[in-house]
Amino acid sequence: MAAQVVIAPLLVALVTAVLTLLLRRFSRAQRAVSLAGALGYAASVALLVAAVADQSILVYQLSGWRAPFGITLVADALSVFMLGLTAVVSLAAAVFSAGYMSEYGQQLSYHALYHLLVVGVTGSFLTGDIFNLFVWFEVMLLSSYVLVVFYSGPEHTRAALQYTVLNLIGSAVMLLAIGGLYSTTGTLNMADMARRLANPAEFGIDPVPVLGIAAILFAVFALKAGIVPFQFWVPAAYRAAPAPVSAMLAGVTKKVGIYAIIRLYFTVFAAASLPAGLSLPGFGGDSFLAFFGPIMFVMAAASIVLGGVGAVSRVDLDGVLAYSSIGQIGFVVLPLAIAATVPEVRELGIAAALIYALNHGLAKSMLFLASGTVREAVGSVRFEYLGGLARRTPILSIGFFVGALALVGIPPLSGFFGKLLVFQTAADAGAVGGQGATIALALALGGAILTVAYFSRAWNEGFWGTQSEAVRTATYSPTLVAVVIALAAALVIVGIGFDPVLRAANAAASAAVDRGTYVDSVLPEVSP
Amino acid sequence: MTQFVLAGVLGLLFTVGTFLVLRRDIVRVVWGVTIIAQSANVYLVTMGGLSGTVPIVGHGPPANPGSVTDPLVQALVLTAIVIGFGTTAFALVLTYRVYEEHGTIDLDELGETGGEV
Repeated sequence: MAAQVVIAPLLVALVTAVLTLLLRRFSRAQRAVSLAGALGYAASVALLVAAVADQSILVYQLSGWRAPFGITLVADALSVFMLGLTAVVSLAAAVFSAGYMSEYGQQLSYHALYHLLVVGVTGSFLTGDIFNLFVWFEVMLLSSYVLVVFYSGPEHTRAALQYTVLNLIGSAVMLLAIGGLYSTTGTLNMADMARRLANPAEFGIDPVPVLGIAAILFAVFALKAGIVPFQFWVPAAYRAAPAPVSAMLAGVTKKVGIYAIIRLYFTVFAAASLPAGLSLPGFGGDSFLAFFGPIMFVMAAASIVLGGVGAVSRVDLDGVLAYSSIGQIGFVVLPLAIAATVPEVRELGIAAALIYALNHGLAKSMLFLASGTVREAVGSVRFEYLGGLARRTPILSIGFFVGALALVGIPPLSGFFGKLLVFQTAADAGAVGGQGATIALALALGGAILTVAYFSRAWNEGFWGTQSEAVRTATYSPTLVAVVIALAAALVIVGIGFDPVLRAANAAASAAVDRGTYVDSVLPEVSP
Repeated sequence: MTQFVLAGVLGLLFTVGTFLVLRRDIVRVVWGVTIIAQSANVYLVTMGGLSGTVPIVGHGPPANPGSVTDPLVQALVLTAIVIGFGTTAFALVLTYRVYEEHGTIDLDELGETGGEV
């Protein structure tokens, strides 16, 4: 009976999307339903979190077709951790949207698309089936295409074209990888795949092609997460999308790629090993993760450097935030890379990545919303038109400052613990003899310094200095500022009350590596 | 034999798709993406193995019940095709909007006139 709560968030978001589409003639009712839906979504996620805390893993077989034949939805500590982040960010962005988007835009289709985006994200976090993951990705992407092009001006159509074409090619590649996986392993269910990969001889699986196909799939997830070298769509798309959508894209949909990497590579593919070991230069060991570890490490390093250097030289606030987003995702992938290479710190590394993802999700969405507030009031976020915001609107500036400090990693904000755990993972890996731990530490330190550099530049040019004419005459919407402050407060609360968050992240990390429980819960009849 | 023919056709389709994606004309790029997506669908069908009979159990016992082509991949392809329809329609409408906004569908010119937000 309790398993039904797994589909509650999906249903709430889907019903909200349909209702907002039907109510488009009645804009006040539509907005009310949209906000009620966002609240209901948060409530259903809270229910799910409580249920998972109670039973540790919940499995819902759609229509009663048992895995591996039917579609399975699985909620474990890892899924609900990501869903919790989604609930907070999507609620804040929905409230912000109601005050920010133009009346006509909201009536048109904004709310329906927004909730469909949430449906796609939720489905991706809950599904236990690889083809189903592809379908949820498409649901998420289709709504995000339209949301990126929402303003429909010259630069928006250009960014959306780039974003759409890239993601369509990504989807085709994902389909190729899924077909290959089905052909080589004979199943699409993640638990079943993990079970079969653990005993390749029994099921007649050759692990070598599986590794290659897993690598192709990895490129798709890296594209979704915007990790270098698949980052080039990020700046244009984030700048073109409306501020609450950028907040969702940077805060939540990027994390879907990270979630897919953790779930598939640490839970499913980690079960497999190559019989002859990896005979590639620079790669050691015989596990699949030992292959992806160094690759992730290089990608994370490139993301940190490219994102940081790119952000320092931007001329507008949204550009700084978009490039910073590339750099910060590097900080999420770095502990994952260490976790993949050094098995001793695997749980710690995943927990560090999750905490960092949570911190980035909250802080970056808040910064995008703050930037949107400035754009609405001043009319531009280019630094040449800004200046003196701190004196004109101290409350909003405090919000921005808190978000920037959280990304820099100043205690007691959540970002401090994220950075601390990243450093701890690298140090622990070095202590047990992991290679490259010193480079990881140096990278994390260099990245942190770059973060300080671009945020102090953004602060100096936008918030200090002489007030420009546009800033002096601007009026700030109290609702929008309130949303920004609420998210800033959330950052402080997460930082001060860090213990439960750390417990949740640790539970999520152990759920990610605890393959046995996952397989046994999804496929109860095959386990002895 | 079917496998070899299909492998050749798939290679050709991917080549044509890639060639079109690298063109300057947006309509061709959209066509290229569509062709790549469709070749992925064809590839998916081949993943079920093509040696068996049609995956339909008709009246009476089938001639050789042991060797039926896997019907699951065909169900998957149906889903992928439906998604493909939606995305292709969107990509074409987007192409039209790009033409309206920029007055060109040449990607090089688009790069020059686009500018920063």
